[in-house]
Amino acid sequence: MAGQVRRGRSRTAPLVAALGVSALALTACGGGDSETSGGAAGGAGSFDFLVNTENATVPAMLETLSQAECKTADDAAPLKIETVPQKQLDQKLQLLAGQNALPEQFAAGSSPALTKQLAENGHVVDFEKALTDLGKLDKVQPAAIATIESLYGGFNALPYEYNVEGIWYNKKIFADNGIAVPTTWDELVAASEKLQAAGVQPFAASGEQGWPITRMISGYLFRSLGPDAMDEVAAGEAKLTDPEYVAAAQAVADLGAKGWFGQGVGSIDYDTAMAQFLGGETGMMYMGSWALGNFTDPEQNQIGVENVGFMPFPAVAGGKGSIDQLPSNVGLPMTMSEKAYDENAGAWLGCIADNYGSALLEEKQSISGFVADSDAPVDDLTKMVQDKIASTDETVLWFEAHFPTKATDTSQTNAAPLVSGTLSAQEFMELVQTDLDAR
Amino acid sequence: MNDILGDRKAIAVLLGPALLVYSVAMLLPVLWSLGYTLFSGNAIIGFTYVGADNFVKLANDPAVRQALWFTVKYAAVVTVGQILLGYLLALLYVFVLKNGSSVIRTLVFFPVVLPTVAVALLFQKMFQIAPQEGLVNSLLGAVGIGAVDWFGTAGTSFAVIVLMDLWRSMGFYAVLLYTGLLDIPEELLEAGRLDGATGLTLIWRIVLPLSLPVLLSSLIFSINGTLKVFDTIVALTGGGPGNATTPLTLYMYQTSFNYGEYGYGSTIALLLTVLCLLVTVFVFRSSRRDLTEA
Amino acid sequence: MSAVLAPERSVRPVPPPAPVRRSRGFLRRLPVRALIAVILVIEVYPLVWLLLSSFKTRREFVEEPFWSLPSSLAWGNYAEAWTTGNIGLYLRNSVLAVAPSLALIIVLGVAAGFALEVLVWKGRGTVLLIFLAGIMVPGQMILLPLFSAYFQLGLTGSLWPLIITYTATGLPLTVFMMATYFRAIPREVFEAAAIDGATVLRAFVSIGFPMVRNAVFTVALVQFFFIWNDLLIALTFTNSTELRTVQVGLLNFNGQFGATDYGPLFAAICMNVFGLLAIYLVLNKRIMAGLAGGAVKG
Repeated sequence: MAGQVRRGRSRTAPLVAALGVSALALTACGGGDSETSGGAAGGAGSFDFLVNTENATVPAMLETLSQAECKTADDAAPLKIETVPQKQLDQKLQLLAGQNALPEQFAAGSSPALTKQLAENGHVVDFEKALTDLGKLDKVQPAAIATIESLYGGFNALPYEYNVEGIWYNKKIFADNGIAVPTTWDELVAASEKLQAAGVQPFAASGEQGWPITRMISGYLFRSLGPDAMDEVAAGEAKLTDPEYVAAAQAVADLGAKGWFGQGVGSIDYDTAMAQFLGGETGMMYMGSWALGNFTDPEQNQIGVENVGFMPFPAVAGGKGSIDQLPSNVGLPMTMSEKAYDENAGAWLGCIADNYGSALLEEKQSISGFVADSDAPVDDLTKMVQDKIASTDETVLWFEAHFPTKATDTSQTNAAPLVSGTLSAQEFMELVQTDLDAR
Repeated sequence: MNDILGDRKAIAVLLGPALLVYSVAMLLPVLWSLGYTLFSGNAIIGFTYVGADNFVKLANDPAVRQALWFTVKYAAVVTVGQILLGYLLALLYVFVLKNGSSVIRTLVFFPVVLPTVAVALLFQKMFQIAPQEGLVNSLLGAVGIGAVDWFGTAGTSFAVIVLMDLWRSMGFYAVLLYTGLLDIPEELLEAGRLDGATGLTLIWRIVLPLSLPVLLSSLIFSINGTLKVFDTIVALTGGGPGNATTPLTLYMYQTSFNYGEYGYGSTIALLLTVLCLLVTVFVFRSSRRDLTEA
Repeated sequence: MSAVLAPERSVRPVPPPAPVRRSRGFLRRLPVRALIAVILVIEVYPLVWLLLSSFKTRREFVEEPFWSLPSSLAWGNYAEAWTTGNIGLYLRNSVLAVAPSLALIIVLGVAAGFALEVLVWKGRGTVLLIFLAGIMVPGQMILLPLFSAYFQLGLTGSLWPLIITYTATGLPLTVFMMATYFRAIPREVFEAAAIDGATVLRAFVSIGFPMVRNAVFTVALVQFFFIWNDLLIALTFTNSTELRTVQVGLLNFNGQFGATDYGPLFAAICMNVFGLLAIYLVLNKRIMAGLAGGAVKG
C-alpha cells in the first residue's frame, strides 16, 4: 500500500501542479487593480450605452437621432444599447467600474450618492469642460445645470429629462364638488375631506415605490422650513428627528390615517396609481412632469387631457418656503465615461446637445434640459408645464436627494408603513436618521 | 483489492476535473471574498484595510439581527412545511393512488417549472387588496371576515411568502421523497401487514424508519436552500414592508452592491455560511442518533 | 411529463385489496377524492389564471377583478412578447447555457462522487467535506471575484461565464448526493469487479454509473430547475442582449418608474413554460429509453 501511495503521488503531481498554476493564473489575472485593461473599456469603435431597462425614452430617441441628425457620429461609432434592470444597475456599475470598463454612456446609478462616488473616482466626464470644448455649453438650460450641480456636486450628468413636480388634480371632480385649487396645506386637507365625503378617494399614490409619499414629506418641509430644509439635514446641522421635521412626516401620516390614500397603499404600484388617477377614481396625485406622456395618451387617460390640472405643492401656514419653489430633477441620471471619452464620444455628445431637446419635444411632447429651438405645436398641458419651468427661478430637490443609498432604501420602503399607521412619524424619521448617522 | 480501488491515476481522472472546476470557480472566489471581510470600500472607490471593524459592526447592527431572525424563522417554517407536505403527498402517491398517481404528480410538480417572476406576480395579485380585491380577500369577504392588507404588515407578508414557497416546492419534494419510498422493499411492508399493522401504524413503524435516509438528505437539501432564500423574496415583497421580510442574503446583496460596502457584505455572507454549517452539522449529529435507534 | 418525473415503480406485486363491502368502499374513498379535488384546484387554478392573463390588456389587468376573463383573445401580447421579449433568442441562449452545464455537472459530479465514496484513499473524507462546504456558501459571494476573473480572461461576451459558474455551483450538491447514493451500493459489487480484472475506470463506466442511473436522473432534474430558473448569475455575467437567458429576458417588461407591461409579460411567461414543455417532449423518448436501459435500480 505504501508503495502504491508513493508511486501514485508522483503520477498525480503534474495534475496538482497544473491545478495550482491555473488557479494562480486566474488569481493573478483577476487580481485587484487593473489599470492595464483600460483599453477594454466599452466596445472599441462603437458608442455603447448601458441604460436601465425601465427607461424606454432615451434609447428610442437616440436610435432616432442615430438615423438622422447624428448619422455622422453614428457612422464613426455606431450606437449600441444594452439594458439592465434598475434593481441590478448599481451592481453592474460597481463591477464594470472595478474593471475600468464602463461603457461610453451609462445610467449612473439609482441614487445620487453612487453618481457622486463615480465622479469622485474619475469615471465620469466633466460636462462643463467637455461641452465648453465643443462650444455647446449654451445648448443646456442653466436651470438644468443648476439642478444637476446641486445634486451631484458638479455638472456630471446629462439632462435627458427635466421635470418639475407637484400635485396633479382632476379638474372635473374638483368642479363637480365645488373645490377651488388649494394653495395652502389646510386647504388641501379641507379639499381632501370634501372629496372623501363625496365618495372620491383623494390621493392616488404608489406605496410600493415609496417615493410618491416621501416626496410629500419633503414638499411639506420645503414649505414649512424653507428650501434649505434637506441641505441642513445633509450637512448635519439638523436632524430628521427634530420636532419640526417630524411634524412634516406627521402631516403626511395624518392623510394616511384618514384613509385618503386608499386601502393597501403598500401594494399599489406605479401603474396602478396612475391608472387610478387617469381612470377618474381619485382626485389628486403627487407626480413629476415626466408623466405628461401618460396624460397625453388617450388610451391611458380616461378623464381627458383637458381635465388634468397642476398645482404647486401648497404652502404651510407660517412657513418659510414659497409655493413658487418647485421640486425639479433630471430623472435617473445618464452620464458618460471619462475613461472611454474620445473624439467619437465627443461627436455624439455634441450632436445630442444640439438636437435632443427639439427632437424630444416634437416626438414625445416631453421636456428635457437641452435647449429646444423648435416651434412644433405642443398641447396645452405640455405648454403649461413648459411655462411653469420657464417662470420658476428657484428650485428644490426631493427628500432622499442627498441621502446615501441605504437611507434612501429605508425611507422609501417605510413610506407605506408610515401612511398605513404601522409606523409612527417619530419612528419613521428615527429609522432614516439612523442610516444617515451611519455615514 | 484496495490496490485496485485505490488506483491513484483513476482517482485523479475521476475526481480531478470536478475538483479543478469547483476549486477555481467557487472555492477560490469564496476565499477571495472572505479576504474582503477585513477591508472597507468597494470596487469603485478601492479597498482599505480596517482590521476587525466589519465584525464589530456586524455585532452591533440591528438590521443584521432582524435579518438573521427572519432567515432562521423562515428556514424553520418552510423546511418543516416542505418536508412534511412533500412526505404526505409522497405517501398519498405510493399508498393511495398507487400507479395512477402520475397525472397528479405532474400537476403538483408543475409550479417548480414556472419562473419566479411569474409565481410572485400570481401571489401578489391573489392576495392584493387594492385597487381590486384579490381572490383571497374576496373569499374572506364572502365569509364575513373582511379584507386583509396582506403585504402591509410583517406577519401577514411572512405568511404569504411561506404559502408561496410551499405551493411552489411541495410537489418537487414529493417527487424526491416518492423515489425514496419506492425503494422500500415490498417484502418488509408485507411482513408488517402480516404482523397486523395497517394504515398509520404501518407507516409509523415501518415506512418512516426506512425512509429516514432520504428524508435526511431532503432535509439538508431543503434547509440549505431556505437559509439562502433570495429570488422568491426579492420578487414577492422586495424585503418589505420596511425591512420586515429581508433575509441575510438580500441584506448582504444590498450592502455589497447597492450601499457600496463590499467588505461588510462579505462579513454578512460569512455569518450566513457559518449558520448553514452549524445547522447542517446539527442535522447530521441528531440524525446519526435517530438512525442508530431505528 | 408525468412519467419522467419519477420512474414508475418497477413490476412488483400489487397488494391484494382488502375485502370490504362496496358501499363502505365508496364512503372510505370520499375523503381521498375530496382531498385530490382540493389539490387539483390549488394547483391548476393559478395556471389557468396565468394563461388568461396573457390575453389581457394593461387596463384590464390593473382595473378588472382578479378572476375576470379577458375581453377578447388578443394575440397582440404574444406578438409583442416575441419582439420586445425576443423570446426565441433567449430560449436558445438558455438551452445553450443550461445543456452543457447540466452535462458537465452530471459527468464530473458522478465521477467525483464515485471517487470519493467507492475508491479508497487517504484524505477523501476531507475532500468530501470541502465539497459539502460549497453547499453552504451563499452564491452572491462569488459574483465580484468571478466577474473580475472572467473579464480579465476575456470571457465576458460569451456564454462561457454562465456555463462555468453553473457547473461550479452545481457540483457540490451533485457530488454530495451521488456519494450518498454510491454508499447505498454494497461494496462487494465493486470488489467482485476488481477480482474479475476490471480496471477502476471500467468498473465506473460499466457498473457504477448504470447502477445509479435513477439517482442521476433525480439529481439532473434538481439541477436543471436550479439553473433554468437562475436569475442572479445570468444577470451578472451576461453583458449584451444577444446573450440573455429567458429569465433575464422576462425583466424587459419593466417600464419606467415601476410600471409593468403585464399582458406581454404573461405572454412571455406562457411561451417560456410551453418552450420548456416542447424541450421536454423532444427529450422525453430518449430519457425514457435511457431509463428503461438501466435494469438495475439505483
